[in-house]
Amino acid sequence: MGLKAADSIEIGHELAPRVKPIAQRQIDCYSGVRPKSIHTDAEWAKKKGFAAPLAQGLMSTAYVSQMMVDFLGEGFVRGGKISASFIKPVLAGDTLTMHGAVKSKEAEGPHTRVTVEFWCVSQRGEKTMVGTASGLAA
Amino acid sequence: MVEFKTISYDVVQVGEEFRSDDFLIKPEDVETFAYAVDDHHPWYFDESPYGGPIAHPVLLGNQALMMRHSRYIIPAGLHAKIQFEFLEPIRAGMRVRSYGKVIDKFEKRGRYYMVTEFATKDEESGAVLVRGQFTQNIFKGETHGA
Repeated sequence: MGLKAADSIEIGHELAPRVKPIAQRQIDCYSGVRPKSIHTDAEWAKKKGFAAPLAQGLMSTAYVSQMMVDFLGEGFVRGGKISASFIKPVLAGDTLTMHGAVKSKEAEGPHTRVTVEFWCVSQRGEKTMVGTASGLAA
Repeated sequence: MVEFKTISYDVVQVGEEFRSDDFLIKPEDVETFAYAVDDHHPWYFDESPYGGPIAHPVLLGNQALMMRHSRYIIPAGLHAKIQFEFLEPIRAGMRVRSYGKVIDKFEKRGRYYMVTEFATKDEESGAVLVRGQFTQNIFKGETHGA
């Protein structure tokens, strides 16, 4: 094991899309169930104007982490970065598809920092989150 | 005693510091997180390149996010931006704590935001495991209910 070879990574390479159906029970596990929560109390979420409870934005960053660990392995666990902007809320019952493409490779000390541009799209075709994630390659 | 106030743009002060409770990472926490985000990578349950299992890099995000709750009642506020930097692998058995500081607050297009930087540390070694920044939407003045 070790860092992935930077030479094996091409700019523009698209990572395999990752499909994530999000069930209420998963949101419950992630956020912890409590009353008067827009994440886990359906009635409260409706009162606040949402059709269903919202998945925490952090859940989507975990999907980015998964994509990057699968792509760069150790180079993401130690040295990884995520910068995400949230655009639309994600609701219980939504299915997200996470996309990523290699944007750049830049020298960083003895390593190469590989930056991936990512975007997350719901089944409604809306972008819910965009940003960049990066990690180290040899 | 902590006197909890409802958080708002008017109440939050730039420079204000937060400190989470400490948290012992248990194997069941790693398993629950794996279920919640449907990520069962073998490094989180078996051997990893670091010797023994590690945890998901984002596992402790909620601890950092919830720092504000140690002082404020938080009405529903949505995230605008999140930044993470993963410095060291996280492992079950670590006792961890997050430290944060409000570094900015601003109004943009009629909405109000606070920016908090944070570092999550292994309490035993003092090593910073994760650091980053949250930009969160908050209400302007006094409000009630989440």
